[in-house]
Amino acid sequence: MKTSYAFALAGAALVVLALAPMFIPEYWTGVLLGMTGYVTLATAWALFSGPTRYVSLATVAFFGVGAYTVAVLNEVMPYPLVLLCAAGIGMVMALVVGLSTLRLAGVYFVIFTFGLAELVRQTVSWWEVNVTYTMGRYVFLPFEGRHIYWQLLALAALTFLIAWAMGRSRIGLALKALGDDETVASHAGVDVTRIKLLLFVISSTIITLVGAIQAPRWTYIEPSIVFNPTVSFMTLIMALLGGAMRLWGPLVGAVPLFLLFEWLSVSFPDHFSIILGLLFILIVFVMPNGVLAKIDDLRKGGRA
Amino acid sequence: MSAQLQITNLQKRFGGLVAVNGVSFTLSPGEVVGLLGPNGSGKTTVMNMISGALPCDGGTVQVGGTDITRMKPHKVAKHGVARTFQLVRPLPTLNVAENVLLALAFGKKRHWGREARELVDQKLEFVGLAGRGEEKVGNLTYIDQKRLEMARALASEPDLLLLDEWLAGLNPSELRIGIDLVQHLQGQGMTVLLVEHIMEAVRALCSRCIVMSAGEKIAEGASAEVLRDPAVIKAYLGDDHA
Repeated sequence: MKTSYAFALAGAALVVLALAPMFIPEYWTGVLLGMTGYVTLATAWALFSGPTRYVSLATVAFFGVGAYTVAVLNEVMPYPLVLLCAAGIGMVMALVVGLSTLRLAGVYFVIFTFGLAELVRQTVSWWEVNVTYTMGRYVFLPFEGRHIYWQLLALAALTFLIAWAMGRSRIGLALKALGDDETVASHAGVDVTRIKLLLFVISSTIITLVGAIQAPRWTYIEPSIVFNPTVSFMTLIMALLGGAMRLWGPLVGAVPLFLLFEWLSVSFPDHFSIILGLLFILIVFVMPNGVLAKIDDLRKGGRA
Repeated sequence: MSAQLQITNLQKRFGGLVAVNGVSFTLSPGEVVGLLGPNGSGKTTVMNMISGALPCDGGTVQVGGTDITRMKPHKVAKHGVARTFQLVRPLPTLNVAENVLLALAFGKKRHWGREARELVDQKLEFVGLAGRGEEKVGNLTYIDQKRLEMARALASEPDLLLLDEWLAGLNPSELRIGIDLVQHLQGQGMTVLLVEHIMEAVRALCSRCIVMSAGEKIAEGASAEVLRDPAVIKAYLGDDHA
């Protein structure tokens, strides 16, 4: 009963959000678009990194690969096929990366994923300069902001559906268990490597698609734009602020932080990085488990 | 009748140290057998090799006639071998019921949904944690964490249970409860291999004992006789007592 109520509410919210571009100015559609992008990124990131606690900084590697796939292929094949290709490339890349790195634990994994993002960026730059002799690429697709926004909204809805289903499944339980103690989980019958790989691939594929869908938005892209490490850090901090272990956590973190960053980058473009860094530290110190967990704690504290 | 557990010529080296050297023994179905020996004699290493946590350098492990020597832990679990850990390892993100549910969902069969919840209650009741499924594992007392450890192992629905000092650290009355629980399992026909230092428990539970020292099997036989064996006393207490 409770579930169907929540679904009705989520469905209604989705309809309102989908209709919004008809009634609001173009600028705000752009804001909604960016926000939906980050909500999807943070939720997809938390799908894998939340329960397993494998903190990934490779977000932008997949995001950028998605955007570049669209930039390279948009003139040679129809758009839906381009998206499919992007998803496929993201999936294969996640498989390769996952198979080679998911044995790494803790800080080694963090460093590897950060290195991976840089590696991909440098490789793409090198290729463009030395092989294709281009430094940037143009993406001309007949999309307005709202078209991109609707695609992102659909992807966001799908991501939430996956995260919700995962939370109720055997796999979701296994993920939480292996986040606590991989040895115990494996002795309880959980194929730890396979489940980590599965979730890493799902999460990375969604992230790749976010980059792919957003590509037409920039019109002109180059490695320094679509492989900007700030994307990885923002995704991470949004998920952490809301709480990466909860379904709605990343959303709760992404919405206010996106608006804040939007305002900061317009009002204080030169100090943006400093403020981002300070916020990062503050969030990790004050609420390591996120806002939602903090609220839960405070409520319990109030009752006790 | 075929053996429930048969290990043959098991070998394990850590660098230059030979931790387990040519150990062989057999457990018949329904037997409760003690694996004894002083600290560092290789008992836990043997347990780890049976459960797949450590790869064997030589020898074979067979369970119910199937060779499981090269299997990963999760495969071993699905072949009906469950274990507890020397130090309790409850999963803190999960509540008590979910700790047990995990092993039911990924054990021999894939239990899920209502059926699984009923089985969780059944396992919790068996170990004495009835009605406490929703509690956080961090709030459990030590004996209750031991109970949970047992419930999780049983939830894999094993044919062979490996208990690694499961009774260690309990006070006398808790020890009594622990021994009763294992006896109850024995009554149900469970095959159990028990690493244990508490002789009271060994005498009460094990019809047979295997003793290891410095990586080798030095004695095997009926508990009462083995515990009187001069070689065993020497291994535990040194030459003066033999």
